[in-house]
Amino acid sequence: MAKVAQARSPYAVLVRSSAKSLRFCLSPTTRWAGRMLRTIQPIRLPDWYTRQFGLLSPARTGSTSRKSLLSPVLLIAAIIAIAAVAGCSTELAPRDTHATISDSGNISSFFYKMLLYVDIVIGVAVFGFLAVAIVRFRRAAGDDSLPPQNHGDARLELIWTAIPTVIVVVITIPMLVGLFQLAKHPDQNQKIIEIDVTGKQWWWDFTYKSGTANGLQTANEVHVEANTAVVMNMTSSDVIHAWWIPRLTGKRDATPGRTYPLYFTPLEPGIYDGQCAELCGASHAVMGTKLFVHPPAKEVEVEYAGKKYTLDSYETWAREQMASSVAPATPELEKGAKLFRDKTCPACHLVKGLEGAESAGQSVTTGPNLTHVGSRMTIAANTLLNTPQNLAKWIQDPQAVKPGAKMTKIAMTPDEAAAIAAYLTSLK
Amino acid sequence: MAAVTDFDRALAPVYHQDRENKYGLVDWLTTVDHKKIGILYGAAGLIYFLIGGLEAVLMRIQLALPDQNIFIGDTFNGLVTMHATTMVFMAIMPMIAAFSNYFVPLMIGARDVAFPRMNAFSWWTFFFGSVLLNSSLIFAEFPAAGWTGYAPLTSKGITPSQGIDFWWAGLTMLAISSMVAGVNFVVTILNMRAPGMTLMRVPVLAWMMLVIQFLLAFSFPPVAVGLILLAFDRTFGTVFYEYTMGGDPHLWQHLFWVFGHPEVYVLILPSMGIVSEILPVFARRPLYGQHAVIFSGIFIGFVGFGVWGHHMFTSGMGPIADAVFASTTAIIAIPTAVKIFNWLGTLWNGKLSFPTAMLFAVSFIPLFTIGGLSGIMHANAPLDLQQHDSYFVVAHFHYVLVGGAIMGLFAGFYFYMPKISGKMMSESLGKIHFWLFAIGMNVTFWPMHDLGNRGMPRRIYTYPADAGWNVDNLLATGGVVLMAIGTLIFVYNLVTSVKGGRDAGRDPWDASTLEWLCDSPPKVHNFDFTPVVYSERPLWDHKYSPDMAISVPTQAEEIHMPSNSWKPMYVSIGILMILVGLLLIGTLPFSWLLSIAGAITIIASLIAWVTEPV
Repeated sequence: MAKVAQARSPYAVLVRSSAKSLRFCLSPTTRWAGRMLRTIQPIRLPDWYTRQFGLLSPARTGSTSRKSLLSPVLLIAAIIAIAAVAGCSTELAPRDTHATISDSGNISSFFYKMLLYVDIVIGVAVFGFLAVAIVRFRRAAGDDSLPPQNHGDARLELIWTAIPTVIVVVITIPMLVGLFQLAKHPDQNQKIIEIDVTGKQWWWDFTYKSGTANGLQTANEVHVEANTAVVMNMTSSDVIHAWWIPRLTGKRDATPGRTYPLYFTPLEPGIYDGQCAELCGASHAVMGTKLFVHPPAKEVEVEYAGKKYTLDSYETWAREQMASSVAPATPELEKGAKLFRDKTCPACHLVKGLEGAESAGQSVTTGPNLTHVGSRMTIAANTLLNTPQNLAKWIQDPQAVKPGAKMTKIAMTPDEAAAIAAYLTSLK
Repeated sequence: MAAVTDFDRALAPVYHQDRENKYGLVDWLTTVDHKKIGILYGAAGLIYFLIGGLEAVLMRIQLALPDQNIFIGDTFNGLVTMHATTMVFMAIMPMIAAFSNYFVPLMIGARDVAFPRMNAFSWWTFFFGSVLLNSSLIFAEFPAAGWTGYAPLTSKGITPSQGIDFWWAGLTMLAISSMVAGVNFVVTILNMRAPGMTLMRVPVLAWMMLVIQFLLAFSFPPVAVGLILLAFDRTFGTVFYEYTMGGDPHLWQHLFWVFGHPEVYVLILPSMGIVSEILPVFARRPLYGQHAVIFSGIFIGFVGFGVWGHHMFTSGMGPIADAVFASTTAIIAIPTAVKIFNWLGTLWNGKLSFPTAMLFAVSFIPLFTIGGLSGIMHANAPLDLQQHDSYFVVAHFHYVLVGGAIMGLFAGFYFYMPKISGKMMSESLGKIHFWLFAIGMNVTFWPMHDLGNRGMPRRIYTYPADAGWNVDNLLATGGVVLMAIGTLIFVYNLVTSVKGGRDAGRDPWDASTLEWLCDSPPKVHNFDFTPVVYSERPLWDHKYSPDMAISVPTQAEEIHMPSNSWKPMYVSIGILMILVGLLLIGTLPFSWLLSIAGAITIIASLIAWVTEPV
């Protein structure tokens, strides 16, 4: 009686009939799948499945006179030892890709940590099974008996296809979220620093497009403000380069004829190194770049390469850079400025405020803008420290510093080079 | 256990037109025998492996310490380019071609490949192409735009050096060679199997070779097109890659990588096949889940055509394209994992012995797994923005290509040399080689993960002392020394074993597939009688299941082997003339006459080829 009453309840009828119809619809599929699996993987030893996982049941014989376990185990030990020596150093490298200082960089670092854990779990599992197999199933000397001659197990195949599938799905979904986050243009209503970046053989040209610094041009060293969104428009005027500051965020190719954006908001004031990451010719290795993240308001002291530096606020820096170059104050500097003109430097380099070097017109982008070259930390694309000696060395023979450098080697005496270097150094 | 030597009593076959097994110079030049062509490929591959290795050693010398000035600028870039080009196209690929030529017909119970003269044509085209590419050092200078040769760095305006011309000309010949070989082997494996050898009974190595021949046949055309466009840009002033005139540098990247990624699987799948052959033999049991291993190989081959964009995450394709390529790349992890689990399943419950071949085959598993695990990281597009073009990627693909492809090929050499030469290689030298190479390989490439994490970009010829890269770089250089010594020991072992090794006999490893049924080295016609196959382990069943023994026919077979021919080499020389004529345009007046002469040579030789009696 009770059974009948139960069956008549409309809810139970619905559930039962839908389950039935579902089973009816699916049965050809499941039957087909089962048949397929049986043809793919005939199970020859049904009890093998239990033995497969039965680590306790000894499926082997004659294990008394085993050979030395040393060789294959040593390999795995060697790998782990090297990993311990080289891979797990905790000291912070100056260009560490995982000690990132921007919002978008932190997305990459997050995925590194996440996948590192996933990799360690998978690696330990695979290496563990391999090590156990190598140790447990070695053939004893003189043992001519045959091990189980089974060809596999369909259920095991299913399981170890399903496990990586689940892992792949689980790690792919957050990846897609992060990917679209990186490609999001910052909110238009907030303050944005927009910079056009042009890669050239072998230096970087930065042209500021917004705020106080609108129209400013710097070479190789780029300045931004902490906690302010930055939009960089990457392009190139010759070959493909890639702008990369490892501690900031991932790289972006600078492709000739195309402009691609890079978005990031730096979070920590400081000075960070980077360089071109896409092979771009002879001096690819010395096409460096430097990022200065200025504090928003007050000046702060930051540490770089073991020394303390004071960083002005971004606005202060921008105002200083927007000014014209200082006029030569002494006769020596006057001589340097004259030589700068006489040796045809203004054909490629603009010095705003220097008579005879201002009207360079269209050729202004051929070489770096030198209006405030004295305020730069480095020259020759982050290759040499900006000292008068290094400047003189670079001016006299650029190709000796950077193979294939496009700057013309102009004949001059060491004194002339020193005079030009002194003048350029004065352009703070 | 029936002795394999029973086959010595087989009836002598009737030869229609026998080719004697002679080893004179003319015999090598005109040979159409798949075994001799295999040996030629193997020898060329080994020589180029040493050259490519030397280039690597020179690079590591420059990078051992910071701020060194030994090989700088385009000299270093030339080493970078030629190391990769040599290793990929002229070392690993011919070694794969060697195993594929020598063993695929033996494994499927055939007497030769489907088109023996086409096979010779593939070899000569490869040979002339590789010589042409390397001759750039003599006639001009090494190409220095990276093995990826990204436009517009390869354009005439930016890199006038003729090295790039030698590069496209040489690679075009290698591409022709590979496409022709691909078609030849697809036909061979599908059509020339012994009676009873259904596709699911084809050995895994032959299966992986079948998959890569499809990859070769379908992935080389795009890069050949890309190379020809580059040739037109450089020679005739077209603007396919010239952005100022409406061309597009990204066109090259897509054409290159739609070839380049399947190419990666071309390099690794044969080694997976070799490992799948060796593990069961030294575990004395069948390959676990053989069908799953085969199907995952096929799956990798298919999906491999849909992942090329993961080389271009930083190029700015946009998040939609990035998302698609990142997801398809992650999917590749699944069949790869299935393969690894099945190899573990083969070892589990086996009776393992560890001769050198097995050591290399087993070490393939952890080393390739490390490469796969860092591959999972690269499949993550946001993370790859950091790792792309850094040393982390260098570490990744060297674990896959050295820890994977090269380890597998070394395993193959130790395993199969007894069949090729009839002599065993020295086990003690082999073990020294293994330990030097395995440890050296890890000491070299493991620290490169760390270098990448510390922000070192690849392909740079120097680095500042204060970047925190000194220790890792020194370690990497030290590891290269171990690998180099190990490789030299291997070459010594290989060469001396051919003359002085212990006799191997038919079946030195107690193996299970048909190639161990032949003599060592095999006769010209491979098998005196065509074996009938009833399972995927015909020889094993013959030895261990009396009711499944291979029966020797009572009737002698009639055998017809094709005769030697010069024509394939002539056609290759014609192609070489066309390309040399093209790359000399602008250097030598009327060099196009050479191209026309080459075209005439090709047509004349082809007519002679088709009318030649075989």
